[in-house]
Amino acid sequence: MSIVNEKDINEQIAWAKINADVLRSMANPRRAYWISVAMCLAMIACAVTAEVYQYTEGMGYANLNNPHMWDMYIATFVFWIGMSHSGTLLSAILHIIHADWRKPIYRFAEAMTTFSLMTAGFFPIIHLGRMWNMYWVLPYVSDRGHWPNFRSPLVWDAFAISTYLSASMLFLFVGMIPDLAICRDNAKGWQKKLYSVLSLGWTGTDRQWRNFRKTYMLMACFLIPLAVSVHSIVSSDFAMSIMPGWHVTTFPPYFVAGALYSGCAAIITLFVLLRYYFRFEEYMTKAIMEKTCKLTFAIAMVWTYLNLVEFASVWYGHDIYSKELLIAKAVGPYAWVFWSMIFCGSVLPFTLAFQSLRRNMPVMFVVSLFLNVGMFFERWMIVAPTLSMSHNPHQWDIMWGSIIEWAIVFGSFGWFGLLFLVFVKVFPSVSMYEVKEMVYHRRRHVVNDEAAEKFHRRASDSKTGTDEPGLEGA
Amino acid sequence: MKRYSIMALFGDFDEAFEAIAEIRHAAIPGITTDDITLKSPIEHPEIEEVLGERPVHIQKFTLGGALFGLIFGFFFLASAQATFLVQPQGGKPVIPLPSNFVLVYEMLIFFGVWITFFSFLFLSGLFRKPHPLYSEKVSLDQIGVLLEVDEDKMQPLKELFNKHKAVEIREGVIHQ
Amino acid sequence: MSLENVLNNWSKYRRGAEEGGHHDYEHKWAMMINLDLCIGCNACSTACYAENNLAVVGKDRFEKGQAMHWLRIERYWDQAEQEFPEQGASFLPMMCQQCNSATCEPVCPVAATYHTPDGLNAQVYNRCIGSRYCSNNCPFRVRYFNFYSYYESSWPEPLNMQLNPDLTVRDKGVMEKCTFCVQRIRVAKDKAKMENRKVGDEDFKPACVQSCPTSAMVFGDYLDEGSQVRKLWDKYQVKMGPAKQDKQEPDMRGYRVFEGLNTDPSVLYLERVREKV
Repeated sequence: MSIVNEKDINEQIAWAKINADVLRSMANPRRAYWISVAMCLAMIACAVTAEVYQYTEGMGYANLNNPHMWDMYIATFVFWIGMSHSGTLLSAILHIIHADWRKPIYRFAEAMTTFSLMTAGFFPIIHLGRMWNMYWVLPYVSDRGHWPNFRSPLVWDAFAISTYLSASMLFLFVGMIPDLAICRDNAKGWQKKLYSVLSLGWTGTDRQWRNFRKTYMLMACFLIPLAVSVHSIVSSDFAMSIMPGWHVTTFPPYFVAGALYSGCAAIITLFVLLRYYFRFEEYMTKAIMEKTCKLTFAIAMVWTYLNLVEFASVWYGHDIYSKELLIAKAVGPYAWVFWSMIFCGSVLPFTLAFQSLRRNMPVMFVVSLFLNVGMFFERWMIVAPTLSMSHNPHQWDIMWGSIIEWAIVFGSFGWFGLLFLVFVKVFPSVSMYEVKEMVYHRRRHVVNDEAAEKFHRRASDSKTGTDEPGLEGA
Repeated sequence: MKRYSIMALFGDFDEAFEAIAEIRHAAIPGITTDDITLKSPIEHPEIEEVLGERPVHIQKFTLGGALFGLIFGFFFLASAQATFLVQPQGGKPVIPLPSNFVLVYEMLIFFGVWITFFSFLFLSGLFRKPHPLYSEKVSLDQIGVLLEVDEDKMQPLKELFNKHKAVEIREGVIHQ
Repeated sequence: MSLENVLNNWSKYRRGAEEGGHHDYEHKWAMMINLDLCIGCNACSTACYAENNLAVVGKDRFEKGQAMHWLRIERYWDQAEQEFPEQGASFLPMMCQQCNSATCEPVCPVAATYHTPDGLNAQVYNRCIGSRYCSNNCPFRVRYFNFYSYYESSWPEPLNMQLNPDLTVRDKGVMEKCTFCVQRIRVAKDKAKMENRKVGDEDFKPACVQSCPTSAMVFGDYLDEGSQVRKLWDKYQVKMGPAKQDKQEPDMRGYRVFEGLNTDPSVLYLERVREKV
């Protein structure tokens, strides 16, 4: 079969099979699943131990000092927020432009968005010196009449991330309602009760579908500017300061591009995993993988361009602080991180340009993991070198992460993994109704092409629809 | 006269479409398309051609929610900053518009999304007890056309549905 | 109520930003440090430790960079090829510059740092949640964080008797920095108020100024035309407010550190006079 004409999905798939395949993925888990859950719990236990130690003894054990007041926690925070963006890209942006190849894969991407945000939300809390007072950044009416400082980008973070988290959860939930109705119709026992409650009495009436369509589109329209603004606000944690290397106007688009990039890489990783473990080959086809890889490649080039823009503007400007800092990034003690970031972020995506590699699932899995490693290094290169070499030369210092920081970062991956593992067993990780829509419309398209050819001489026929061969919905 | 509810399940969307089109063209006197409810596993915006225009009101709530977020957001922030005047900072003004803009933008989106969500819950006819004629096949792959009619219309309707290859026809008496 | 508040105070706060931010203050505490007289003895730093309940963190933590010295003597070796290895060092006492347009102030999420009507940059320990953004945004890097809890380890009995009761001992998780010995300022102002006069130069000195053996440091009220510090700022033709000074004699000593960043610091440094070889 010619690869060029390969279809995104086989349009002859029976709808009953779609239901059956996806519901089967939610069946009682086997041993491999429970081992994964146990591993994630072990990782979380590492993080909890480290955090308890840090809470009682002080932030000093995180290798923080003057000038390295941030470092690993904030870098990881930006990393997790960044990873959350491509769920929105896939769900909302591709929905608005009617790119239906997103339909089999957007559900787990959106879930990834929500869980990344839930993971990222820990880091601004644990990096605080007095985190038991963290609620002071929220604007509540207090009898002392004090409010948070709304000028601070950290307060903007609090608003933006809580808006994004709640909006993403709502978007994920609303999009799942018809699927939850399918689950309800096929479930027994405690699961039936759960899905009955969650599906909110969905019965598929035209009124419900009409309102649903409108709601989903409106929420998608809101979510796109929200996603852009959230990571721009996170970037303004850096851009609104005067530190060399941070006070850069390209930071908002740079961060958003980096976010889309790491999120797309994570989508490829999860794509390969879900496709393998749940045998979703019919839905998460190689054609869709190719499209995702091409998208990732495009974003990788945007990210590379914005990096070059930053380097160019430092080179053209005469801000000695920024210039020395950039040179130090490339040849100083953090140089190996810098060059790894450049390699993983700008050179490695060229593997996505080769069709034979794009279609090779194990290769894509490894490549996507390295792309994310590159993005993690990028976050580190944003935070640490500026702090190590700021304006005052007396306070130049090199610092690396401590075991406490690494343990907490490691545990955050376990937390994310745990949330995702729970999700794939309780909720359908492929959107059944959207795949049905995709199959339905593609089938019509194919038949319309055939029918148009067959009937093109019958121009006198005015009523369309009656002369077409019958299409089986089942 | 007893009122019946009748639901026909079709395996083929086009047939369901034709059945409704016939009803629209007054095949059976006394029944209009306004009485029809369509139940389907996927959305079918094209059914509006025959089902008649049924407007959606959600976007009005969305607009209202977004405007509320905008106005409430700005005045909330401004009044908080105005009362907390004791803290001048870094040569910045009391109500800094650039930073307030960021927060007002977020609040606009926050309220827009939440109010859209709640209006969806209330306007879409969820939270009802499942209809006694509800079939799980609707969530699988069949289209249901549901009507409430008087007893004397039942027979013509059944003939119409059978003409369009209905897979199953369910009926039930509506208890007053 | 808040609208009234805003309208009454708007012009005061808004105007202040454009013209240096200090005109409507009752005082504007400023300092002058003569680097020619500084011998790098660290007496000022030690006095600051004693006066402000600063914790001595120990050698390991000091080397790790977690020291708590609000006033540090920065030593720069800026003369090559000296006859003796100790020659060629220059010393810069660096403490919080109490910037009028402080970069640390707007970025605190809970408004734990703000500008007092005295022209000081205040740090409110009770409000600080330890996000450390202020320290990251300080170009001088003079903000110090309590990485550990020192009140148990740094002053074991009977050393706790040396603590200054005029101010707190900070717990872990809180940011702190030089306050120009605000506790002494408050006491002097209260005393002057009781005696119905204004605070003058002779009333008090911060601990560092008081202990300097060469009298390299001068402290006072910039808005008081008769104060020594004001006379010195005027003599060296440095104005508070602009980011670039317009001196009549461009070779005149007297500069503010990182003035071009437009933070408007309140400390004037006089360059060390180097002998011409």
